[in-house]
Amino acid sequence: MKTSVVISQELLNQVGLPEVLQACHCRTPQGKRLKNLTRFYTRATQDELLEELSAISYLAEMVKQKQPQVLEAQTQLSRLRELRGTFSRLEKGSLLDDTELFELKSALTIFYRLSRLKKLLSAAGLGFQVTKDASALLDPAGTGNPAFHIYSDYSPELGLIRERKKELEREISLAKGYQRKTLLTKRALVTAEEDKLEEQIRRQLGKKLVEWLPQMRHNAEICAILDFRLAKADLAVRWSGTQPAVVAGTEPAKLDNCRHPLIADMLEKQGLHFTPISITLQQGSTVLSGANMGGKSVALKSVFLALLMTQLGYFPICERLQTPLYDFMAFESSQDGDLDRGLSSFGFECVQIRNHHRRSQTQNGLILMDEPCRGTNPAEATAIVQALCRAYGTSSSTFLVATHYNVIPAEGIRFYQVRGIRPEALDELSDEQISTELDKYEDLTRVRKIQSLMDYRLDEIEGAHQIPSGAIKIAELLGVDEELLREMTAAWQEDQWLNSD
Amino acid sequence: MKNTDAGAFEKTKTLLELASLENLQSLALIGMSKNAGKTTCLNHIISAWRASGQTRPLALTSIGRDGESKDIISGRAKPRIYIPAGTLIASAKGALEQSDALLEILELSNVRTALGEVVICRALSDGYVELAGPGSAEEIGLIADLVRAHEPDCLFIIDGALSRRSQAGCGVSEAVILAINADTSSNPEVLAEKAKFALEVLQTPTVDQLDINLILNACQSDPQNRMVTVTAKDQTISLNIPSLMGYGKEIAHNLNAETRLLYLRGAITDQVVNELLKESNFSKLTLVADDGSRIFLTPETVRKLRLRDINLAVISPIDVRMVCLNPSCSSGQCFDSQLFLEKMKQNLTIPVLDLGPALM
Repeated sequence: MKTSVVISQELLNQVGLPEVLQACHCRTPQGKRLKNLTRFYTRATQDELLEELSAISYLAEMVKQKQPQVLEAQTQLSRLRELRGTFSRLEKGSLLDDTELFELKSALTIFYRLSRLKKLLSAAGLGFQVTKDASALLDPAGTGNPAFHIYSDYSPELGLIRERKKELEREISLAKGYQRKTLLTKRALVTAEEDKLEEQIRRQLGKKLVEWLPQMRHNAEICAILDFRLAKADLAVRWSGTQPAVVAGTEPAKLDNCRHPLIADMLEKQGLHFTPISITLQQGSTVLSGANMGGKSVALKSVFLALLMTQLGYFPICERLQTPLYDFMAFESSQDGDLDRGLSSFGFECVQIRNHHRRSQTQNGLILMDEPCRGTNPAEATAIVQALCRAYGTSSSTFLVATHYNVIPAEGIRFYQVRGIRPEALDELSDEQISTELDKYEDLTRVRKIQSLMDYRLDEIEGAHQIPSGAIKIAELLGVDEELLREMTAAWQEDQWLNSD
Repeated sequence: MKNTDAGAFEKTKTLLELASLENLQSLALIGMSKNAGKTTCLNHIISAWRASGQTRPLALTSIGRDGESKDIISGRAKPRIYIPAGTLIASAKGALEQSDALLEILELSNVRTALGEVVICRALSDGYVELAGPGSAEEIGLIADLVRAHEPDCLFIIDGALSRRSQAGCGVSEAVILAINADTSSNPEVLAEKAKFALEVLQTPTVDQLDINLILNACQSDPQNRMVTVTAKDQTISLNIPSLMGYGKEIAHNLNAETRLLYLRGAITDQVVNELLKESNFSKLTLVADDGSRIFLTPETVRKLRLRDINLAVISPIDVRMVCLNPSCSSGQCFDSQLFLEKMKQNLTIPVLDLGPALM
């Protein structure tokens, strides 16, 4: 994922990918390792992604129906241990000890039990290789007992030694003093013989088991895939994810009622609800504008997370989603801290603008920018944003930008606007008295109230978009002193008058 | 030391009765010092258990390492642990390699120690085993659960390592046997006094159940909380500090005239208490520990606490069933067992036994 997804760790955290990965609960060390690889599917691996998504869809159905095979698979998978070390020692011809042989015996039992879950494996599109004969090596009497030791069944000689030892132990239990000490010495000699023979048996077992190593490795890999797919199916059910449709590269990405699971969860805890977002992203540029506090940043994060989850092989949290597979994805936010990078904020922004644009010449990228050039002088910033929209407008990449700057319509540029707050709702709020005392709690309540009046839905706009206003109104609602408000309004009116020519 | 084989047999026969071990679910062996005789005591219990024809199996583990043939510090020979077939063992992989009983592996615990993962086994033959169990009470709890999944009715015995008295209690075992040797003192009277004091501390009374609930509820908000205070109006304050040592001022800052209980999680040592004694707020209250094995105070410090009107109490009681006396010291010097036993019996209210040398 590292080269295909360009995003700072801080922004990635804000987007919520680490929490998504954490919520996807794998039960095996093998599954966890697969999850942590964060494989990014592209057009070159589209068939594998489709196979993955289809398996998750079938498994999700079984998870939803709480089918017993799902529970059995989860129980078996939670018992599987890390096997790489034991496999590697087996491959090198090292002498395995009893705990390692026990580990292999347990793994073979898990493979066998999982291989019987035909319906689940068919849904997951997976199959185990038969390792029955390898299991028999570690259970020579065929008792089915999960425990392990070097059985006397391996060698009649070992059986005889143990008989002698057992007799000595019986005598020891009755003996005292010197007689006991003599018997213990005799026992030690028999134990040495037993140890020697046990070691020979372990060596022979290792030689026989190594022949089954490819099958055991294959089955461990199948467990990893099954575990990861089941975990993703479980997540999709818990978060109401949907199977995304993968479309051709020239088709747009369409997100219907997309939710950000973590922000939605946080809002629910505050008694608020998340407004799902719907948007169509054609190749070219899409400009998203809207009032302050209108949720543009949340919209961008939700869109990015849904499309990223899709290309990582997860079900996005949308009602419906279709998307082409992008060669790379980039997300930049001028709100992102950049002190650690050793560049000024604008310097860093320029580097990223250059890199993404250069990469988009040869690859189909998805590039999201949240208020680029925020700290630049408005005239030049407007020019830069306009130029970016025009350049991407005629490219085969998809550029989504949230901005307050004016973008003039041109070829390949589409506009979306956050609905924002209805003026009537704002007026109702204006009538409420605000205390002149500084009260953090009251401020928070007020901010939440404004948020609750906000309509976060996105509307596509034909032609030029309107520069959103309303910032001064929000300042008023949050109790900025009257004199300062008058100054703000006067300055705004003067600016409007100057620009009206 | 006066001992004969017949005498030893009689002692082991009465061992189960004196310590009322037959109906116990779990037992911890703790020592007042290194080489106090815990392993010898364990071997006697194993032998007595077998001799009396008990049908319940024993399950053995240790806190840290024990049962090895030589003392890893002094290099002197130590008693080994000899178990009968059917006994369950929870010991680290590295220690099992030193064992010669035929062991059937039942489960791998995922609990790691310096000697490798703790493995749950059942002995299929008699033989010697080396015990190296987990280092914390929490992990001992996990091991106990795994062992009980295989043998729900076993007597689970936790052997301590060195003089690590801590962690033997704290709810992980139902009862305790205290082992004591002449390293603590070679003077019978002094040894008896020290044993009496140790028992008083180990058997510190519990606080009221309502107070336990208040403390545990306050701890639940943050598992890292090491201090909880309870006022006369049952209001609680909790504090998250990295350790008890070096934070006397922070702890005392939360005390006032209203404070009636101060719970400290971890080892309550002289150093911790002396730091607190510098603060004038630290008075007229009950100082609460997890259990008596977490209190490491000298008689002098306990006296200072009494002068400040501070009582000691615990959350989990420890039921000490017996004292096992080893009338010798680490250097190998032996003393008169009868004299020691006589003095101890005069001072203590629980049974005291000299079980004699280890049955190996």
